Amino acid sequence: MDRQPPVPLDDETARFLASGESITLGSRDVRCVPSLIKAAGCRVDAALRRVRVFVDRRQARQLLADIAATRAVALVVSRPSTHHTLQVKGNDAVVEPLRDGDAEVAAAHRLAFARELVPLGYRRDWTLAIHEFPVEELVAVAFTVDATYAQTPGPGAGARLEAPR
Amino acid sequence: MKPSLDALRACFEGAVPSMLATCDVNGVPNVTYVSQVHYVDPSHVALSFQFFNKTRENILANPQATVLLLHPETARCYRLALLYRRTEPEGPLFEAMKAKLAGIASHSGMTGVFRLLGADVYQVLDIEAVEGADVPPPPSPRSRLASLRALVPAVNGATDVASLLERTLDGLGEQFGITHAMVLFADRARSSLYTVASRGYPQSGIGSEVPIGRGIIGVAAQYRTPIRIAHAAAEYSYGRAVREHIEASELASLLETAIPFPGLAEPNSQLSVPIIAAGQLRGVLHVESPEAQRFSWEDEDALVTLAALVGEASLALQQAAECHGEEAAGEPVRAVPPGAPLLVRHFAANHSVFLGDDYLIKGVAGAIFWRLVNAWVNEQRSEFTNRELRLDRSLNLPDIDDNLEARLILLQRRLAERQAPVTIEKAGRGRFRLSVRRPLLLQDAE
Repeated sequence: MDRQPPVPLDDETARFLASGESITLGSRDVRCVPSLIKAAGCRVDAALRRVRVFVDRRQARQLLADIAATRAVALVVSRPSTHHTLQVKGNDAVVEPLRDGDAEVAAAHRLAFARELVPLGYRRDWTLAIHEFPVEELVAVAFTVDATYAQTPGPGAGARLEAPR
Repeated sequence: MKPSLDALRACFEGAVPSMLATCDVNGVPNVTYVSQVHYVDPSHVALSFQFFNKTRENILANPQATVLLLHPETARCYRLALLYRRTEPEGPLFEAMKAKLAGIASHSGMTGVFRLLGADVYQVLDIEAVEGADVPPPPSPRSRLASLRALVPAVNGATDVASLLERTLDGLGEQFGITHAMVLFADRARSSLYTVASRGYPQSGIGSEVPIGRGIIGVAAQYRTPIRIAHAAAEYSYGRAVREHIEASELASLLETAIPFPGLAEPNSQLSVPIIAAGQLRGVLHVESPEAQRFSWEDEDALVTLAALVGEASLALQQAAECHGEEAAGEPVRAVPPGAPLLVRHFAANHSVFLGDDYLIKGVAGAIFWRLVNAWVNEQRSEFTNRELRLDRSLNLPDIDDNLEARLILLQRRLAERQAPVTIEKAGRGRFRLSVRRPLLLQDAE
């Protein structure tokens, strides 16, 4: 089988996905009913276009079942202070256990989320509670980025950033 | 137990952005921020439709949607299973969302980016409290129902419309801590609202006008719906509302612009509630605050109920005033006061009245004043009844529902504020007395 090597994610996109403070993951079931969850952090392999997103299993039962059934995902990463937002999509998502370093990424993301939101007027205990996940409940959703979209609020939101391959 | 939508109303204040997932017909999910999830009723919410985007395309093809809400106080997360039902491109729901969106846009630095194209109404199929940590909510303020109950005796005890309004505004301060408030009554014939009572402003602004349909007060009146804005929203300021109206309207000359509007220059919270009685718009109760997010859903509930009480009471008191006072008591012979005469000029075109060089009032209140001073000068009368004014066709009162009592209050306050040598005092239910402390010289200017 002739397989083309993936076009790497550009640095800016990869950096933003990995550093975004507000992360939301969606999927859908076999009947196209969408599911949705706040995610606890994200790691990116730009060369392979692979993204690993961490979610709390207790909060994500429907989403994890949907991924198992359809493998379709949409991930939105945003920086609340600037509204800068990206959406990436994939159709090969799988659920995996955490690997070395994943828990640390999730913990760092929780603090980054608080750092970002407190200056915007949110209470620190509130921001920390949003991402208070027991490590043993975290799992990773891994997928290959198939398409990226600008999602910063406004009329340009939804524009595809890379030409379809 | 599943939470009810009502229990989540704090999530619908727009304080924290919500997330929405939809899915296209090819099975590709899409996730987006929504600036506003609006509570419609216990089984419906509305989302702001601002752009023709992927979400729009998806819900028109596949009406299934899921929204994630964060509670702004407890940090609890809720997931709503939604089914898209319809889009409302105008009307009360649309206007309430449009005004709220203006506040949200301004708060989030997005003024000019957000423009509401429609209110997308969704049926709520399921509500799921997502498992997770929470924080204790801040101590809740006093129950608004208790505050409202404490205010009711004051409202019920009013014996005329003037005292009803005073008691209502005092009660808002005492029971709700709301210190910037005003009541405007509707002049439907001229499609405007005029201020009859206010609290908390350096100038009372009694007599100032707002066009129906403009600014938060005018929109609340036009659509008969409460409008609540949690942040500064310049496009809903009165200054702009009045200015644009003047630029746009042929009625500009009729609008009372000589009396400045009393509102805060830069309110960060505003709530306008229509006063409706017997199926008719009677006016608007408007409150505001320099503090952002000052008024909650509970405040809105309480003020809507209060406005209904005030509406019914004002109608009943007005009717009582016009039924009573039929038998004019023995007319006291009025004595001509000493002193230099005061020139009273009346311009028939808009019934504007000047005392000397000082502008007093125009419109219906101006016509009433002109009639009263003519009766005083030519018929030596000083006592009058509401009923005779109501029956006087020369006054051309807009319609039978017009709040005559409110016109008299307006006139009475303006005379008092201008410290005019002419005053109006109550002389029993449905009766009032004109007191004149200088001779009057009347001049009808065309």
